[in-house]
Parts: sequence; C-alpha cells; structure tokens
Amino acid sequence: MSDDEESVLYVMTHGLEAPERCATPFFLASTAAAMDLETGIYFTMNGPQLLKKGVAETIGPKGEEGQKLAFFIDQALDCGVSLYVCQPSLDLNDLTPDDLIDGVKMIGGAAFNDMAMEARAVVTF
Amino acid sequence: MSETMQSLDVKGAACPIPIVKTAKAMKTMSAGELLEILATDPGVEPDMKAWTKQTGNELVSIEQQGGGVFRVVVRKS
Repeated sequence: MSDDEESVLYVMTHGLEAPERCATPFFLASTAAAMDLETGIYFTMNGPQLLKKGVAETIGPKGEEGQKLAFFIDQALDCGVSLYVCQPSLDLNDLTPDDLIDGVKMIGGAAFNDMAMEARAVVTF
Repeated sequence: MSETMQSLDVKGAACPIPIVKTAKAMKTMSAGELLEILATDPGVEPDMKAWTKQTGNELVSIEQQGGGVFRVVVRKS
C-alpha cells in the first residue's frame, strides 16, 4: 500500500469453523474500495482456509441459502481489494501458495505491521 | 436547460451492491455528469452521504418515493 493514499486494512482470523463470519470482511472491504480507499484483507489463523481453491463455491454465510462466498470474493477482487496471507498461516493450515485462489499476495509479519501502521483504520474479525 | 442523466436501478439489492455499482458506474462518466440511483436498501441515505463525502462527488438529492424506493442523484466531480 502506498503512503500517500488513505487505506483501510481488515484482518480475518476465522475460517471453515464459522461460515457465518466468512462474507462480512469481503463486503465491507468492497465498500471501502468503492469509496476510493486503498483496501486490503489480511488472512491469518484460520482465515487462509477461505482462500483455498474450491472452498468459496461450497460455503456461504447463510449455508445453503443466499450467496456463496465466491460471490463476495469476486466482488472484492473486482473492486480492487488486495488479499494477503503469510507463510506461517499457510503452514498452520497445511496449505501452500499453489493451493490458493488466484490474486492472493504473500507478505510477512513486517509487511503486515507496516500496513497496519500506515492504515487509517484496522478492523479485525 | 436539460442535463443528461444516467440511471442505475439497484432496487432489491442490499449493501454493498448499491455503493459498489454506483462507484463502478461513475468511473465510466465524465466530470459534471449526473447519475440517478434507484434503491430500496434502507441504509442508502447514510451510505450515499458517506460515499460522496469520501470520494468528493456531489450528492445532489435524496428523496423517498413510494414503496420504499429511494431516488438518489449524484454528480461526478
């Protein structure tokens, strides 16, 4: 994220254990991007599970009702939201970068902390 | 004087669709052009106020029509 743009950073710590929590970070981030804010979501703890290929088509915040997670992810990417993970979080979930959907950026703890310091707001789920 | 106005119908769509589609539609427009948005999301008024405040586009009007429909007009800055 650049220093001269206003930014919001979301942090997502939940994954497959709580599908009802999966969509909100994506749609709030989509809205932030639509407000011309530089917007990112950082996935840690269980969060990277949501980015595994094939998962987003199978779960949704309301189970079988309503939109699947894929709808919210595609909308966020379309709005220009950046998705970030770090290697230890992938290891924790037995994932490799190749297991993830396209468009996810790998960062480390230092880059995360830097983004958090630069952002106008950090919102954690 | 008549100004051309584009129209965006997002009736029935919930947050964040009205804002996301408004932002997308505005990207294709030129400065000074007007966009009419028809929405039923009950949060559309505070959302459009926040969106225009943040993006610098002008909120020309918000009026409530029948049937829970809000008509919003914004001008691209």
